[in-house]
Amino acid sequence: MQNNLRLILSAGGVIAIAILLDLLFIQSSYLSIIAAVLLVTIFAYLIKEHNKVDLIQTTDKTNENKSSTDQDIEKTLTDIASLLHQQLNIIDNEVDRASALIRDAVTGIADSFKYLKNLSEDQQQMLNSVINYQQGVDEDKTMTIESFVHDSSETLEDFVQVIISTSKQSLEAMSFTNEMSKQLEGIFSLLGQVEGLASQTNLLALNAAIEAARAGDAGRGFAVVANEVRALSVNSTELNNDIRQEISKTQSIIERLQSSVETMASADMTSTLEAKNRVSEMVEHVGDVNNKTQKVVEELTLISPKINDTVEVGIRSLQFEDLAHQTLTSLKSNTETINLLYQEIEQFDVKQGNSAEKLSILQQKCQQLIHKADHVNDNRSVSQSSMDEGEVELF
Amino acid sequence: MSVKKQVSENSKKIEIFIDGRFDFSLHQHFRDAYANCTEKGQVFTLNLGATSYMDSSALGMILLLKDHAESHSGSVVITKPSESVNKILEIAQFHRLLTIEQ
Repeated sequence: MQNNLRLILSAGGVIAIAILLDLLFIQSSYLSIIAAVLLVTIFAYLIKEHNKVDLIQTTDKTNENKSSTDQDIEKTLTDIASLLHQQLNIIDNEVDRASALIRDAVTGIADSFKYLKNLSEDQQQMLNSVINYQQGVDEDKTMTIESFVHDSSETLEDFVQVIISTSKQSLEAMSFTNEMSKQLEGIFSLLGQVEGLASQTNLLALNAAIEAARAGDAGRGFAVVANEVRALSVNSTELNNDIRQEISKTQSIIERLQSSVETMASADMTSTLEAKNRVSEMVEHVGDVNNKTQKVVEELTLISPKINDTVEVGIRSLQFEDLAHQTLTSLKSNTETINLLYQEIEQFDVKQGNSAEKLSILQQKCQQLIHKADHVNDNRSVSQSSMDEGEVELF
Repeated sequence: MSVKKQVSENSKKIEIFIDGRFDFSLHQHFRDAYANCTEKGQVFTLNLGATSYMDSSALGMILLLKDHAESHSGSVVITKPSESVNKILEIAQFHRLLTIEQ
């Protein structure tokens, strides 16, 4: 609006000058010239005055503007303050919650690691006892399957040797009984000779009896003797027959003995052979099983220390609780800084005309806060940042 | 089922063949085959190429032959045992006592 006024005034001045020039060079009327000069002067004054008013009006406008800016600033700052307050509360709560969660979780994890370590130690002990058992440390007290199979194998071999030895002895006994049979045959032929003697004696006695009869009464006594001799020869023949019968019985006994010896000597080795094969397979199998078991057990004993190492690493990793705690604590210091900022902003009270001063104070306070925050940040960068540093014992 | 015997010209080597089953029934023949060979340092070769079966009495007879040979400074060699016969010889651990040639 003021600009329009200035425009109108300027236009009026220009028109006045134009009229003045027109009057000077075209009409040359003194009165008109004076009137025109007067008009120009008035316009010139008006323009000058207007410029003054203009300046004052501009100043007023600035003051009005300033007042509304202060209100804006205050409103904005209040908004910022309330947002800061709200966010601060949330952050504080979340940090506390995270702290509690981590603490609980770490306690739980540490307990499980401790338990795991104990279990692993128990397992190691069991494995050691198994290894000792396998290696026969308690050999005096216990009988392992291996030694049992070994013993069985030896017993079987001894058994085979006994069978063979029995066969050999039986065969020798057989040859003795064969000789005995031959000896008995010899006795038979001797008995034949004895029989011959008896029959000759019998014949002789018969002759003697005949001669005694021829001698008559003188030979009567001799006849008695001849009869007795004959009776003796008959008796000796009977005795011979008895002996022959007895020896025949002995021979049949020897035959039975020989068949017994034959049975004794003739053991079928097939079943022994099969048993031997089975024992051999068993020995091999037990050896295999033992080797495999030994191998697995040894591998298992290697695993146990690894479990322990892993548990140690896990426990060491639990230091993250400390680190996380440190981090959260330093986060707290940040929120404190923000809180201070919030308080400063809350205290910011804009009154007419003192806004610049207040702003400058606020700026100073901000600078202080920035400085403080930098200091805290420097300290933080010094603190531990890696979990591999140091070692933590089980608690 | 029989026992045959071959004696070398200088009578230092006596080879005994066992045909078929080598069991107790052969013991007399088997014994007869070596009993009168009493020269010093004779080698008795027991050819089991045609032997189909052997029981413990056969093993006993072989041991008796070994005793006989050793008592006359001689030795016993077993030749050409079949697989089944060889197994029985192995069970009896004759490989430790005698020379066995395939």
